[in-house]
Amino acid sequence: MTSPSASSRKALSKIACNRLQKELVEWQVNPPAGFKHKVTDNLQRWVIEVNGAPGTLYAGEIYQLQVDFPEHYPMEAPQVIFVPPAPLHPHIYSNGHICLDILYDSWSPAMTVSSICISILSMLSSSTVKQRPADNDRYVKNCKNGRSPKETRWWFHDDKV
Amino acid sequence: MESEDDMHDANEVASVEEEDDYYSGGEEEEEDMDEEGGAEDDYDYSYDYGDEEDDDTGDYDFIANYSDDGDDVLASRSQKNYTILKEEDIQQRQEEDITKISTVLSIPREAACILLRRYNWSVNNVHEEWFADEERVRKAVGILEKPLVKTTNFKEATCLICFENYPCDSLRSAACAHLFCDACWKAYISTSINDGPGCLMLRCPDPSCGAAVGHDMINKLAPEEDKEKYRRYLLRSYVEDSRKIKWCPAPGCDSAVEYVVGSGSYDVTCSCLYSFCWNCTEEAHRPVDCETVAKWVLKNSAESENMNWILANSKPCPKCKRPIEKNQGCMHMTCTPPCKFEFCWLCLGSWSDHGERTGGFYACNRYEAAKQEGVYDEAERRREMAKNSLERYTHYYERWASNQSSRQKALADLHQMQSIHLEKLSEVQSQPESQLKFIIEAWQQIVECRRVLKWTYAYGYYLPEHEHTKKQFFEYLQGEAEAGLERLHQCAEKELMNYLNSDGPSKDFNDFRTKLAGLTSVTRNYFENLVRALENGLSDVDSQAVCNKMSSKNVAGSSKAKGGRGKGSSKTSTSVRNTDDSGNWACDQCTYVNVRSVSTCHMCHHRR
Repeated sequence: MTSPSASSRKALSKIACNRLQKELVEWQVNPPAGFKHKVTDNLQRWVIEVNGAPGTLYAGEIYQLQVDFPEHYPMEAPQVIFVPPAPLHPHIYSNGHICLDILYDSWSPAMTVSSICISILSMLSSSTVKQRPADNDRYVKNCKNGRSPKETRWWFHDDKV
Repeated sequence: MESEDDMHDANEVASVEEEDDYYSGGEEEEEDMDEEGGAEDDYDYSYDYGDEEDDDTGDYDFIANYSDDGDDVLASRSQKNYTILKEEDIQQRQEEDITKISTVLSIPREAACILLRRYNWSVNNVHEEWFADEERVRKAVGILEKPLVKTTNFKEATCLICFENYPCDSLRSAACAHLFCDACWKAYISTSINDGPGCLMLRCPDPSCGAAVGHDMINKLAPEEDKEKYRRYLLRSYVEDSRKIKWCPAPGCDSAVEYVVGSGSYDVTCSCLYSFCWNCTEEAHRPVDCETVAKWVLKNSAESENMNWILANSKPCPKCKRPIEKNQGCMHMTCTPPCKFEFCWLCLGSWSDHGERTGGFYACNRYEAAKQEGVYDEAERRREMAKNSLERYTHYYERWASNQSSRQKALADLHQMQSIHLEKLSEVQSQPESQLKFIIEAWQQIVECRRVLKWTYAYGYYLPEHEHTKKQFFEYLQGEAEAGLERLHQCAEKELMNYLNSDGPSKDFNDFRTKLAGLTSVTRNYFENLVRALENGLSDVDSQAVCNKMSSKNVAGSSKAKGGRGKGSSKTSTSVRNTDDSGNWACDQCTYVNVRSVSTCHMCHHRR
């Protein structure tokens, strides 16, 4: 079940598999508005299409989220990044890493892929300016060699956007 | 998103409160410090001992006189201003505090524990906050009065983590009634405990909830190993969150030290015998203050000094800029491969330009001329200054370090004395070991003195260069201290050997006892005075006073040369006093300062 690029990651535990299957079923019945799950046979990596909400800076734009699940999901947070080109946003780096607390420190096992998606769309929608984070270049340089955003010690930006 | 915003708000409120706490606490401390600072003012020290060193009659004039203030401080210092807490003590206090809060606020112990943790284990703060605004406090820490969601009467419910259905009675919740299955609870708790001490503030997994998960849930659901971890974090938080308690920094020691803030010296000695400064947790460093110690330690970390050395002793290659040290030879330099640039050490110009017309290979006219014009001054001066400062630093560092190793040696000797020699000595001299304590005391004193002496070198290094009189006086005091300590060390080390290696009881062993005990006590007094004087920044020493001291010392010297014992007359006028206000009296014959209660001198048995 492992994908080539996530080969360093351990396979999903039984609990994680069960939970993801349930999430997937729930998603198919009741998908979050503006998102489309791209069907693959890989349960451990979901690729999700995001449609910028109408009436926001990102209206009409389409981006791709890549969600990788760790062995002990949902006790551990999934890794969520935008597949570049990532949307221009003060909390999204050009390599696709997203500065959002629920993806790291504030993750709770009672959250779901669906609730993450809604949070991310809300983050996009409330943006008033299309620009990269101030420290984008430095951060992206430090992330060479494929470092996961989960290894970053995030200092969360303001919660207005 | 709403739920998320709520969480942010909660966090913000929490952090602001913390700052408030911190600042209000800080002010109290400062006030206390100020009061204490003014307490010690003047004492005078007269150290007169001169030419009698060769008349080996057990006569030590290595004496310090102190005035009333000094004695008060001495007395107060002997009362401990700190308490050593073993693990059991910490746990017991923790339990007591929890009981207090739980009874006063009528809340379960788990909730009391969470509250105390939140307010840094300060019972007072919990009371204050709780009675000021109970609802806000409850919300901030997640102690709910009633469930957030209605408990249903359905037989089955879904675990909100694994989304499986379970019979209701097999699901569990915190006070909020958000239901999760035992397997998910266990995984949730275990993940959190293995993530670190954050588990002490564990909340219900539901992101919008925030209800606290207490010790009781942990005990029911975590495996033994995790429970132990949780217990340790809880114990640690009692020490680490408190402003009055710190762990002993000695490796392998798990005692903590509670300190009465604002009560004088920060030096504490743990039950493991490690002495450290409670304020900065470096090893004990009186008379030097924490700031100076931090500077000194930083300076000693090789990096900064290496830079100074490179600056002082090398020049950068004019081409590749690598630093080059010239230790001998001519001015023709060749940089190491791959650079291989050939240049003149003096003017740093290319060597190919040099030859007869520049004044020969061994003197560079271009350099001399340029130097006269002042072109090289800046760089040269910097190099020169760095070199001087490096030499100065080396001087102090060497002495600091050698006292440090002396102290280590003395510590080893002390242990050897305790474990081996004492028993042998007791046998040879047929003295009970209890009567030989004075030897251990002497060695303990030596160890302590080495420590003080060591730090006086850091003190000396930072003594401003321009305060000549202070510096002079400091060096005089330090010299006396060193000499006094040497005598004690000599007596405890060399002279003791004679008694240790003799065939039977020595007649003069009692004299030796008197001498060593006397030296110990006199050295202790001297060093205590020294420490206090230095801590005061030698503030009672203006240039005038130094002149007086210096001249009075000369007087003392000359009066002794005439064979006089009139040491009293050698002191500055105000300090001529055989008794001080606390009733301690200086012996007329040997000048030893005796406590009030005795009527014959402890040292020479001369009657008062």
